[in-house]
Amino acid sequence: MPTSTMDLVAELEQDTSLLDEGAKREIRRAILTAVCVPGYQVPFGSREMPVARGWGSGGLQVTLGVIGPTDTIKVIDQGDDAGVNATNLRRMIAFSTGAEPTADSREATVIQTRHRVPEEVLSKQHILVFQVPVPEPLRGVEKSVAEAARMHAEADYAKIWVSLYEDLVRNGLITKSGGYPLLVNGRYVMAPSPIPRWDVPRLHQAEHLNLFGAGREKKIYAIPPHTDVAPLAFDDVPFEVEHAPGARCQLCGSDDVFLVDAGTDGGYVCSDTEWCTRVREKDADLSNHRDHAPLDLLPDPAARMAQGADVQPWVPPARVTGGPEWALRVTGIGKVHGAGGADAVAGTGPEYGTAISPATRAVVAAWDVSFDVAPGEALGLIGESGSGKSTVLSCVIGDQPATAGQVYLAGVDDGRTDVLRLPDMARRKLRIDGMAVVHQDPAEGLNLGVTAGGNIAEQLTAAGWRGFHAIRRRAAELLERVEVPLSRMDDPVRTFSGGMRQRVQIAKALATDPPVLLLDEPTTGLDASVAAGVLDLLRGLLAERDVAAVVVSHDFAVIEALTDRTVVMQLGRVVEHGLTDQLFHDPHHPYTQRLVAAARR
Amino acid sequence: MASVLSVRELRKSFVLHTIDGRTVSSLHGVDLEVSAGEHVALAGPSGAGKSSLLRCVYRTYLPDSGQVWLHTAAGEVELTGLPDRAMARLRGREIGYVSQFLSAPPRTGPLEVVAAAARRRGLDRPEAREAAATALRRLNLDETLWDVDCGVLSGGERQRVNLAAGTVRPPRLLLLDEPVSALDPANREAALDLIGSLTAQGVAVLAVFHDMDAMRRLASRVVLMSGGLAERSGTPDDVLAGVA
Repeated sequence: MPTSTMDLVAELEQDTSLLDEGAKREIRRAILTAVCVPGYQVPFGSREMPVARGWGSGGLQVTLGVIGPTDTIKVIDQGDDAGVNATNLRRMIAFSTGAEPTADSREATVIQTRHRVPEEVLSKQHILVFQVPVPEPLRGVEKSVAEAARMHAEADYAKIWVSLYEDLVRNGLITKSGGYPLLVNGRYVMAPSPIPRWDVPRLHQAEHLNLFGAGREKKIYAIPPHTDVAPLAFDDVPFEVEHAPGARCQLCGSDDVFLVDAGTDGGYVCSDTEWCTRVREKDADLSNHRDHAPLDLLPDPAARMAQGADVQPWVPPARVTGGPEWALRVTGIGKVHGAGGADAVAGTGPEYGTAISPATRAVVAAWDVSFDVAPGEALGLIGESGSGKSTVLSCVIGDQPATAGQVYLAGVDDGRTDVLRLPDMARRKLRIDGMAVVHQDPAEGLNLGVTAGGNIAEQLTAAGWRGFHAIRRRAAELLERVEVPLSRMDDPVRTFSGGMRQRVQIAKALATDPPVLLLDEPTTGLDASVAAGVLDLLRGLLAERDVAAVVVSHDFAVIEALTDRTVVMQLGRVVEHGLTDQLFHDPHHPYTQRLVAAARR
Repeated sequence: MASVLSVRELRKSFVLHTIDGRTVSSLHGVDLEVSAGEHVALAGPSGAGKSSLLRCVYRTYLPDSGQVWLHTAAGEVELTGLPDRAMARLRGREIGYVSQFLSAPPRTGPLEVVAAAARRRGLDRPEAREAAATALRRLNLDETLWDVDCGVLSGGERQRVNLAAGTVRPPRLLLLDEPVSALDPANREAALDLIGSLTAQGVAVLAVFHDMDAMRRLASRVVLMSGGLAERSGTPDDVLAGVA
């Protein structure tokens, strides 16, 4: 059989399908995965389509993947069947697949949509395909793709709760309309493409299958029939749909539909043109539609914030007693940067005057550092820059993996489990309510673009708080305690001075009343008078909440003011430990004597 | 009388690494006994080791060798070998230390300093404030000064704050290092009265005083120190007669 290039071109021109069978199979596989894991964004090999990316190429690929010649296709753009884009897509799909085009939702088997769910109540015959511009619900609150993936994996949605908190604080109500974050099947938070909040209730326990295609971002996800879909909302601030009081469609008179502005004269019309037409033609099941309309979720400004008055102050649960004497115990922590691991340690340390391994040139930042700290006690970790104290701290909190050693918390399995061996997710959770950290640089512990209250809300929502007013009350209490004026509670931390930022960071760390508090040079970046204020604050806080504190500092004045006992580090090793006043008055190690002499000035 | 403090063969020297590693000796094997309700005064010339002994007992200095036994309600505790944490707790509860200088945290007021000491000895917050107010009143500290920064107080005022903190809710053992050196006669009288009343309450007191009058008035026994040793022990009149 002769085959020329022209034959191949002719064959291509005869083939009207836009996707080859291989591509369709891949899309179907992604859809199957998406249906199995509702709300999870499944990556797929998005193809070039004869529409620009961002013009519905994702929805188009999903539609082409599921449709066949016996199907009937309806395409809407913001509820309108007659828009240029909707019309062109419908014609193209019908032409290339042999499916029947329609504008009637009752006849359609596949409905491709942009930004709306049809007013007609859909049933199990329907597949609703959404064109999605931005599939990532965390995009607005987390720039890093890897971090967003981690947050999904660990169901760590505190940041998105903070965005809702901030919306409520700034505006007194939730203003986010299109793409409202939904918790699907109790697991994944999902962006439902920019559909209005009005349409959200109809995704919950729906009869039809919802498929979401994002062509530019190469993601497919789904809400299968009979799946729980819950918009994220605080327990005491009800979820509301969009509604203008007394508004009706100028054309059909409906008041139980999603309405849009009609021109400049202030009136409204149905967003769904098919529904509007059929209501006027008396061809619509009005009572069934009304039963499914979200009329129970209309805004009620009187009820919205009503529960704020009677919120009681939070009483932290009593500390667990009866476990070990200490709250935090660190044994033999070591950190080697470079080759060799534990074998690189020989030949380093104070007695050799170097932290660099003679064998492998690795840097032994810390080795064999052990200490424990009890509730109500503060332990100092002192040494000059480069002595390894901050390395030890970051190994303890898990910012970097330790080469050797164990960390135990009395609150975790009564101190029998090495928390360094816990999975990342469990360790990260420990930092919320087990072992809080105050960094030298407030920017490390705070989100500077978020308000002071919002930063505290992040810690609280991460710990599972879902009461807006309870969060407000707790945040106000904490800010008052750290002497940040309440008038600044709703200002972004970026507008705060260094000392105020540090106070907010301390308030955030203490939000959940953690049993262990780690302070890394808490006053170092501050000028003298501000540092003194923060120091006084910390001293008061440590005394009143039975926390076990570790204070890392190069400054003897800070250590003296805050701690009872101190560990002295030099070149990655502990060279001396003792009562803080004893180390100051009777230092034994030459290095400690030099430090003390320097501190006396 | 029940023994509260027993010091055995206590030795202390300092190795000064920053100054060519020279060794300075301070205590050369001190033995000492203080009972409940007894006031033992340390006498002797400067450099005899009086303050060093107090500091070794309080563990501000870490002794080289020897033992320091404290007889508490819960049994005998050897302080030189006690873990740091246990020592820190024992200090707050059982031992008061009043030096010539006030070692209050910066930017705290007298009432707060004294109340904190009372809390460490087991009083709750309101009780501690009450006790602190009583103690400061007894030492005639002007009430307008109670909440000002201790750093701005005069030497005599600081010393009274210090004494109030050391004696509020009296501890089992009280260590006094020149506690009235900066006081005017009237205040000194009140302070000495206070110290004297403690012994009657069963507190064991180990004290260093400059002046003989105070020693004669308060001490049940005087220990004469010289060259890092406890040389002689006896009634104030016996021991001080030889010195003066």
